[in-house]
Amino acid sequence: MDFSVIADNLSYFLLGAWPHGPLGGAALTLVLSISSALASGALGLVLGVALATTHGPAHQGLVLALGFFRAIPVLMLIFWTYFLLPIVFGFNVPGTGTVVVALSLIGGSYLAHSVYAGIASLPPGQWQAAAALGLRRADALRHVILPQALPIMLPSFLNQWIALIKDSSLAYVIGVGELSFVATQVSNREMVYPTEIFLFVALLYFIICSSLELGAGAIARRYGSAEKQT
Amino acid sequence: MLDQLLAPKYVGWLIDGFYVTLAVSALASAAATVLGLLLCLARLAPTRWLAWPALAWLSLFRNTPLLVQLFFWYFGLAALMPQGLLEWLNTPHHWHLAFFGVRWPPFEYVAGFTGLTLFTAAFIAEEFRAGVRGVPPGQAVAARALGLRPWQVWRYVVIPQAFRIALPPLLGQYMNAVKNSSLTMAIGLAELSYASRQVETETFKTFQAFGIATLLYIGTVAVIELAGQWVQRRRPALGAVR
Repeated sequence: MDFSVIADNLSYFLLGAWPHGPLGGAALTLVLSISSALASGALGLVLGVALATTHGPAHQGLVLALGFFRAIPVLMLIFWTYFLLPIVFGFNVPGTGTVVVALSLIGGSYLAHSVYAGIASLPPGQWQAAAALGLRRADALRHVILPQALPIMLPSFLNQWIALIKDSSLAYVIGVGELSFVATQVSNREMVYPTEIFLFVALLYFIICSSLELGAGAIARRYGSAEKQT
Repeated sequence: MLDQLLAPKYVGWLIDGFYVTLAVSALASAAATVLGLLLCLARLAPTRWLAWPALAWLSLFRNTPLLVQLFFWYFGLAALMPQGLLEWLNTPHHWHLAFFGVRWPPFEYVAGFTGLTLFTAAFIAEEFRAGVRGVPPGQAVAARALGLRPWQVWRYVVIPQAFRIALPPLLGQYMNAVKNSSLTMAIGLAELSYASRQVETETFKTFQAFGIATLLYIGTVAVIELAGQWVQRRRPALGAVR
């Protein structure tokens, strides 16, 4: 094994062609992950509240639509957004935007169910007590329900975000220069050290994902013990 | 209207790809279930000489993207292998066993199967572990009191119950295996996503090509879901009985 290929290309792995060209590599992976984490979190919150507050056909329709996004491979959804977004918006959407849209839709539809479960896990007396205090449903949700439900949901949010970081590697298929794309680029150029390159790239992903996983575990333990005390 | 349809030749490509998707994900799911059970047992072993390596293995495979793992098996492992072995793997081989011939698949099948199996096994091991945790500890203690040996406690008391508890999430992992098998297109395995991409570039009928592939994926996932519900109805989970 010869790891000098890593040292020679280190800045390309971490930053891509930046500052002389577009940002890429691990930095772009982080940008993709953080933007789709934020968007999927917001989407999951809105859709989860919608699941919790709708009944009958509207609820069924929403469940079905979310089921669709959970049933198709992320790769297929990236193909779809790559093909449909320019038609919908009427101009060429950059690959980075395409991937963020696809990852947010997938992450959002998984998170919607976590948010729904978090809201449903609270005793119904919370809604009734808020109503008795004269709060409207929206205010009850904002001031009574969500502050209690969010800590319950936090671990599933973090787990979903770990999945997002790993899924951001699929940006490779539409040629976005994030970490896995850069890895294959270097591997194709150098020709001789694929083992070292993919081990190093796996290590980078491992560091990012497992630090988030450790954080998720710590938070779960903290809120888990807080729950037992009360 | 008719010229909007895909020619039979291209539908054939998609069907061929679908068969590959089904075969790879079914084989990988079966192998991953066995490996996942072994990893779960190692993770729960009383000796740290087994438990810690298992923990490291699981967190390594769960916290790196499947795509990078596939690249590693396809490009990285090939570079480590002796030249002769790689040549042997890349050339077609036929064996004749009694009545049917066995064909050694091209290397991308081997790499795709290996990658998908090892990735899925790490997740299945955690589902089994949650299942084992769901079995009340009194069960194992009672089985020991009845005079069962430690391995018999696992074989006849804990694993059968843990398996029932773990069945719904296990089916979820099989669905993930079907969806994740799409990533093997990146190493050139001609499965459903690969075929849909190929049909799309050849015909420019994007909507039809991706649409059929999407419907086939949704259909497969729905069949697994229905099978799970059917099994659950016939053999209710332990929690429902207690």
